[in-house]
Amino acid sequence: MRRAGRWCVATLVSVAVGVTPRAVVAQAQPAPSTALQRAINEEEAGKWREAAASYRVALHDGLLIPAMLGLERALSQLGEETTLLSIVDSLLLTHPRDPMIRTVQLRTLRAVGRDDALRAAFEQWAALSPRDVAPWREYARTLLGDGRTAAADSLLKRAELALGRSRELLLESAQLRAALGQWESAATAWRDGLVDQPWMDQAAVFSLGAAPIAQRDPVRRVLGGAPVDRGARAVLARLELQWNAPRDGWRALESLRADDSTLVLWRSFADEVERSGAWLVARDAWAAVDRAKPDPTAALRAATAALTGGDAAGALTILGTAMRRDSLRLSASALPVRVRALAQLARPAEAEALIAGAGLPDSPDRRTLMRTVAWGWIRAGDVERARATIAGGGSAADEDAVSAWLALVDGDLTAARRGLRESASTGARDAVDALALLSRTRATRSTALGRTFLALAQGDTLRAARSFALAVDSLTDGAGVTLATSARLALAAHDDALAESAWARLVRDFPSAPEAVEAELTVARRLVVRGDRVGAAARYEHLILTWPESALLPQARRELETLRRSAP
Amino acid sequence: MIRRLLVGLLALGVTVEGRAQSLLIPMDDAQSNHLKAYGVMFQALKSGLRGEWWLNYRGGSFLLPDEPSVRRNAALGGVAFEAVDGAAVDAARKEIASSNMDAVPLERAPRVAIYAPPNSPPWDDAVTLALQYAGIDYTRIWDDDVLGGDLAKFDWIHLFHEDFTGQQNKLYLGFRDAPWFVEARDRDQAMAKRFQVNGIPALKKAVALRLHDFVERGGFLFAMCGATETLDLALAAQGVDIAGPFADGTPMDPDADAKLDWSRTFAFTGAHLEPNSGVNAMSDIDGHQVNVPSRRQPLGSLALFAFSAKFDPVASMLVQDHRSVVPDFYGVTTSFNTARVKPGVTVLANEEGAPWVKYIHGDLGRGSWTYLGGHDPEDPQHNVGAAPTDLALHPNSPGYRLILNNVLFPAAKKKPLKT
Repeated sequence: MRRAGRWCVATLVSVAVGVTPRAVVAQAQPAPSTALQRAINEEEAGKWREAAASYRVALHDGLLIPAMLGLERALSQLGEETTLLSIVDSLLLTHPRDPMIRTVQLRTLRAVGRDDALRAAFEQWAALSPRDVAPWREYARTLLGDGRTAAADSLLKRAELALGRSRELLLESAQLRAALGQWESAATAWRDGLVDQPWMDQAAVFSLGAAPIAQRDPVRRVLGGAPVDRGARAVLARLELQWNAPRDGWRALESLRADDSTLVLWRSFADEVERSGAWLVARDAWAAVDRAKPDPTAALRAATAALTGGDAAGALTILGTAMRRDSLRLSASALPVRVRALAQLARPAEAEALIAGAGLPDSPDRRTLMRTVAWGWIRAGDVERARATIAGGGSAADEDAVSAWLALVDGDLTAARRGLRESASTGARDAVDALALLSRTRATRSTALGRTFLALAQGDTLRAARSFALAVDSLTDGAGVTLATSARLALAAHDDALAESAWARLVRDFPSAPEAVEAELTVARRLVVRGDRVGAAARYEHLILTWPESALLPQARRELETLRRSAP
Repeated sequence: MIRRLLVGLLALGVTVEGRAQSLLIPMDDAQSNHLKAYGVMFQALKSGLRGEWWLNYRGGSFLLPDEPSVRRNAALGGVAFEAVDGAAVDAARKEIASSNMDAVPLERAPRVAIYAPPNSPPWDDAVTLALQYAGIDYTRIWDDDVLGGDLAKFDWIHLFHEDFTGQQNKLYLGFRDAPWFVEARDRDQAMAKRFQVNGIPALKKAVALRLHDFVERGGFLFAMCGATETLDLALAAQGVDIAGPFADGTPMDPDADAKLDWSRTFAFTGAHLEPNSGVNAMSDIDGHQVNVPSRRQPLGSLALFAFSAKFDPVASMLVQDHRSVVPDFYGVTTSFNTARVKPGVTVLANEEGAPWVKYIHGDLGRGSWTYLGGHDPEDPQHNVGAAPTDLALHPNSPGYRLILNNVLFPAAKKKPLKT
């Protein structure tokens, strides 16, 4: 159909210009484009010599720009830059100011390493076109490409004097400053240059992204400074993401005036930080989108990000505000998030009320929500209510994760193992952690261990850490993993002393436990951070000599090497 | 012979009844970390122990007394070792005696110096990397140490990327404004002024002469990459201007080629200088010419020659390896044009069918020298600014073993030639 249409158009055009079919056939011989097309085909086929000949024909036909550029490609593939230079010289006799021919001349002279001729060619071009920025720009780029930063610097200063302006060379100036390591002035030049050429933002991020840590603050000041400029802030936000500082990235954007362009920017940023797992930054970005232009989807994504990031209260606040505004559109989709948040906050009664208020019929979805409520009761410390909730929700199977947790807090390790194995297979993190611990002990009952898991479920990390450390004495096996868990939790609760005593006991009393090696490595690393190089080296050496078969050995050796190499 | 054997056995803590044990550090594929094995041997020698290098026995293995310190160092470095009793040692010795193998006593840790600039240039130095990784001690020296100091306090001097023609490897062509290049040029100019010589080329030629004297008096010199070619060019060009105008402000002497005196050089003769200062090559010594696109030759593999361990122990030591073919690697000087190598120089490795050799050795006066072309055995295309090679990722590198063979070579007790 489309082909038929084209024929139609061709016929109409023929008729319109009064050309007979015979005349069309006659003119189908060497039309100006034929040689060029042939040259392109030959180039694509890698027939460089044939392509060069065809480009020369096309050049004769007057197709200056494509033919010249093609000739440059073909001859440089053949290593015949000298031939190209002679063609360029002859063309310059008739087109002395043509920027394309001049640019090809500069590129070719650079490729053959004729520095003096390159400079002379630039000077000639600049003298012929005294108000044109092109010769300066092209030569500056050549110098920058060669790493001749001092020469590029002198050239740009000359350009400013000769042209009486420098704005058109801002991006070259920016690249130069970055290459020289003058990050603040590079950022300034990029900021100014982006005003006229906003599409160069990627180049700016690439150029400034290489700034070393100590030089980033000046870049931040320039791009984030007053007056607020959306383009510069966008570049700064992406730089911060590249520098692994998503929170600072959001700070660069949040104060922008919330118009449509800003909303596009915020959405894009929120998407990006969500992908990188910076949940609380994503929460703030989505919430800002929702505040600026109420949007239930943005509100829900903000709440989900908050919940995933551990801010259950924040999730409820975001959804509460959004639902006051638009309760009908949000209520159904927001319900699971609100129930999870309430369970997380150990407010199961409210979660139960929400489910009841929603009037859901008995269904798998409802039962899932009720299990979440039961989990909320566990977190609240009311194990009986949790058990009753599960029974009432019709999901009392032994394999249920919440049932398994209930068994665990009761100290029934056998039932807990069975249930957790099922839920661990779905990747539930808590279940995997608990199962990892339970799989290391053959004990069938342990109320001490049950108490520790209850403390953990209630979010009392420090109490859980202490309980795990105490539980070791009541277990006949699994001491290593229990002490390691205690240490990890203590560290999370900022009780370094408790963590270190757990690691020390692990290494001293349970050296055959797999976790002992990990404990020793962790202690060595902490000593390195504290600056105790001798102590750290001793730990590393102890590890290497004590556990020669450990899988952590290569890592320990590597770190010991690094420690020794960095000796002051 | 019997006396030497007894002394050796006693040194190893082995009694004639064969009850005491030794540690064998195998260097074949059973070895988990070949490079650190050299460090274990070095540290043992440094602590006063004596050992043996069993040439061609299981890849060139080491034998050391079974001391806790040796076991500890080996374990820390991940070096595989085997405890062997007197009977096993005796059996191995019988095998060594009846095959192309030999046991070379190693008696003291060599005193090693690396000639390297005080700043860190934007390229790695394979020898420094190897020594650091293996745990072999060394002293860093530079022009002022060579010109003003006493090189006799070292057994072994290593040269790497330095250009002894004083042209900074012609990096002017691509890096003239790079801060590290400018810093290096300023530093060398200041050094030339301090020693009252006329410019960097003259400074480097003076350094080259001192290094020549060091070898002549009994030192051991090991050079890699651009240092090989330029050291010989600098020695041949004493009194002749072979530097381009960017290096000393004057063009190269148009008759420089004819004026070169090859009688002073270590390895090469009759080479032709690159006359074009815009071409990044020094002469036709290098077979690969990596920095001249139109001349660059592709990389192949270098084959290590086999020598008679009993009759040619020095060459044998230098080629001990668990691989006889090693992938080649580029450097500003990658290989040595066979036609330019002096007669009498021992070729240790070449590329079959190629007009160049890769690894050569020779004697000069009371000392000896070894040249290995290329920059980094585990980074064949190493470019300026590239990150240094992490040897923890190459603990079994056959190319790096060649470097470390050279480090231990001066530790060997000199034996009278059997020929």
